[in-house]
Parts: sequence; C-alpha cells; structure tokens
Amino acid sequence: MEILSGFFEYWTESYASILEYTYEHIAISFTVILLGISFSIPLAVYMTKMKNNKIKNMIFNIANIFQTIPPIALLAVMVPIAGIGFAPAVIALFLYSLLPLLRNTYAGIESIDPEIVEAARGMGYSTLQSLFKIELPVAFPYVMSGIRVSSVYIISWTALAALIGAGGLGDLILAGIGYNDQFMIFTGTIAAILIAVLLDLILGRMEKRIYGSS
Amino acid sequence: MKQRLLVGLSTMSLIMAGCGNGDENGEEFTSAAATSTDAKLNVQMVKSLVEDQTDHTVEIVEDLPASPQIFAGIERGEFDIASLYSGEVHNNYFDEVEYTTDPDETLEQAQTFFGEEYDIKWYDPIGFINNYSIGVQESFAEENNIETVTDLGEYADELTLGTDNAWIERDNDGYRGFQEAYGYEFADARGMDVSLMYDGIANGEVDVVTTYTVDPQIIENDLEVLEDDQEFFPPYESSLVATNEVVDSHPEINEILESMVDLISTEEMTDLMYEVEIEERDTKQVADEFLQEKGMLD
Repeated sequence: MEILSGFFEYWTESYASILEYTYEHIAISFTVILLGISFSIPLAVYMTKMKNNKIKNMIFNIANIFQTIPPIALLAVMVPIAGIGFAPAVIALFLYSLLPLLRNTYAGIESIDPEIVEAARGMGYSTLQSLFKIELPVAFPYVMSGIRVSSVYIISWTALAALIGAGGLGDLILAGIGYNDQFMIFTGTIAAILIAVLLDLILGRMEKRIYGSS
Repeated sequence: MKQRLLVGLSTMSLIMAGCGNGDENGEEFTSAAATSTDAKLNVQMVKSLVEDQTDHTVEIVEDLPASPQIFAGIERGEFDIASLYSGEVHNNYFDEVEYTTDPDETLEQAQTFFGEEYDIKWYDPIGFINNYSIGVQESFAEENNIETVTDLGEYADELTLGTDNAWIERDNDGYRGFQEAYGYEFADARGMDVSLMYDGIANGEVDVVTTYTVDPQIIENDLEVLEDDQEFFPPYESSLVATNEVVDSHPEINEILESMVDLISTEEMTDLMYEVEIEERDTKQVADEFLQEKGMLD
C-alpha cells in the first residue's frame, strides 16, 4: 500500500518530466523502426531476386555482426562518428533492427512454392505484379512478425540511448540507479514495457485487418 | 598424450596445494568500489595494506553502478569494506536528514545515519573531496570573463549542459535545486555516461559539464572549474567504511583503516587518477607507489 502511494506521489509530482522522457523514447524508437522497415524490407525483397549468393551472404553476415555487438559498445562507438544525442542513438539502434527484418522478409518470400510464382508468370504476371499480388501477400505474416520482433527489441534497447545523451526512459532508469530511487527505475521500466506492448497490440490488429482482407 | 596431461595436472595440483598453505590464519574480506577511479584507488590501497600487514586477503569488487548497490551489498553481507562519500547521505536514503552543504555537518550525518542503518563504521575522511562542480572550457571562460557559476548565468540560454544521468533528477543538489539557487537554466540539459560527457565538451557538443573536483579530465581537457559562489553543491568527502562486525572482530583491520584517515589530499588524488585514467597505468601500481611514498608500504 505504501509503495502504491509512493508511486502515486512520484507520478503526480513529476508527470511532466515522465511524459517528456516517454516522448523522447517514442521519438527515438519509432524513428528507428520506420527507418528499419523502409530500408530492410525492400532490400530483403531485392535479395530474393538476387542471383549472386555471395553478395546475399555478405549482407546477412554484416547484419549478423551488428546484431552481435553489445549495444553499449555500439552506442559508444557511434559517439566519435555521429556525436552525442538523437542521431548516434538512431543509427546504432537502426543497425540492430536490420537482421530480424531482413531475415523474416527474406524467409517469407523464399518459403513460397516456386511453382506458384511460375504459375503466376504463366498467367502473364510481370515481376512486379507477381511480387505485389502474390509474393508479398503470402509472405505478409512473416514480414509482420519481423516487424513486431524488432519493434519490441528496439523499444527496450532504446533505454540504453540515455547513456549517450539521447534521453528517453533510460534516463529515468539510470537516474533512479544513481539516485537510489526505485520509483524512477520502475516508472521508466513500466513505461517502456507499455510502449512495447501497445505497439505490438496495434501491429497485431493491423496485421489481422490487412491479412483478413487480402 | 594422456599420460602427459595427467602428469601436468598432478604437478599443477601439487603447486596449488603448496600455495594454499600460507593463508591458514587469514580470512578473505570483500571490498567494494563504484565506477569512479578514486574509489578504486582507495580500496586498492586497503587491499595492499591489509595483505602487507596481516595474513588476510582482500578481494575487490569494483565498477558497481552507484552507491545504492554498495549499500545493498553491505546489507546482504557481501561487502565488508567500501569507499563512499559523505554527501551521499543526501541521496534519498533518509527522509529525516536535514539538507545542508556544511562539510562537517554532512559528515556527521553520514556517520550517524548510515552507521546506524547499515551497522557500519564510517571512518573520518581519507582526505580528498570529490564534489560536483560546474566546468566549462578554459578558452570560453577566459573570453567571456567567467569565474563563478553566477557569471555563467548570462550565457546560459545558449549553452548545452552535459551531466550524468542522475543529476537532472536529483532533488536537493540536482538540477532543479541548481535552478533555484542560481536563478537560471541552460538551453538544454542532457544526461549521459560520464566519460562521454568529457568527450562531448572536448568536441564542442556540450558547453558546460557537471565535473567532479578530483577528476583529472579537468586537466586533460583544459576545463575551468567555476567557483560555486552560492555554495550550492554539498561536500562529497571520501571515506572508508567497514561493517561493525569486521571492525569489532578484527582490530588489525580497524587499525589499518584508521591509519588511512587524512592520507590523500584532493591534489594528490587528482595526480593519482591522472596516472590511471590518462596515462593508463595499473591501479595497483599507482596505489602501491603512493603508499611507498608515504612510507606505509615497503
């Protein structure tokens, strides 16, 4: 009970700054997710059409390497290159979003029975027509699961961006660690969880609606 | 091949058994330090002195994120000795502590409140102070004739502040209190990792930093520490602490910790930290050299 009233007191006192941190958090992670989607999905589609396996493997390997660098290290490396704040945080997190988006989209399109694509071609579909009318709709659940997985990752990793001056809910968590305040730590954590869960819900709804209609 | 491995293993175990004999009477203590180099040097000195003068050994646990984790470890019985600062008593631990920036009062509060709450002995200060302070680039201070934190106010609305993540949200001695005491705020205030804060001011991405008074980065980055003319920042006098259990049952440890009171001045600690952080020398070497200079270690 005391804990609840403590939380309540903290929230009423500092809701303005909590909202600001939440806003910063959303700004960083949503920018990353949008950038990631608009870069990775077309790239993955293009990769399915690629004949050269070497280049394909190289792209996957690069994305894989980014995924294995500890986030703190990648963020720190970004500072001399892109400075402090929003930009380096977005670049670093963007690199993390690559692999799940690439892999899922690629796997989704690759999983389509070649005979179906062949049949479409036989019916006179152009490459683009077959892509948009057949391949992408069939691969859609895979693509969506890639988007959902990377979104959840990115929202949670955005907390680390506070280390390089980008703000966000990580600021609240780190401040709580340094200032011995559990309310700050938990508020930052809960807010980040809420953003992730809400976005996942929205994406799930979207998926159902689009998939249902296609 | 197998035989060789066996021979090797048995020789190794023999050697190891031989080493073990020396420490029969000794106990192992654990000493904790946060991420700051001064705290690491403190506990390293404790380790060297204890291992030199007694049969005990000291294991160091360092790079703890902040003091709350040290207190938690003390409470769980994981740490016996630690390096802490008096000003931490104002860090949201006790509602009943009256906020003050007077060094003696703060020390007394820390000794009383932390002493009772965590059943520890808070020794008198080791000698150096690691306060928060406001730093700007030397060239900037000279050009605009800025000497005090109040002087900086005139330019504040064009300046970006880089600080550690906690300072913005701290109550008494944090950014909000600062705005009240000095009557101005900066155009932007960004929390970040302390090491990046110095990179940031070196390459001009932030203009003002909350630096620490012992920090050799002040010298390295040509920073000017502005005079805290409103006496806003509370004192962070460094002290060693030990659990009462250890103090009572091991007078020899108590004696060693007592002997470290008033050992290191702020300037001396800055020099030592310069050796470790900028010259990248080993903490143990730097600590031992200092103790030898002081005649406390052969």
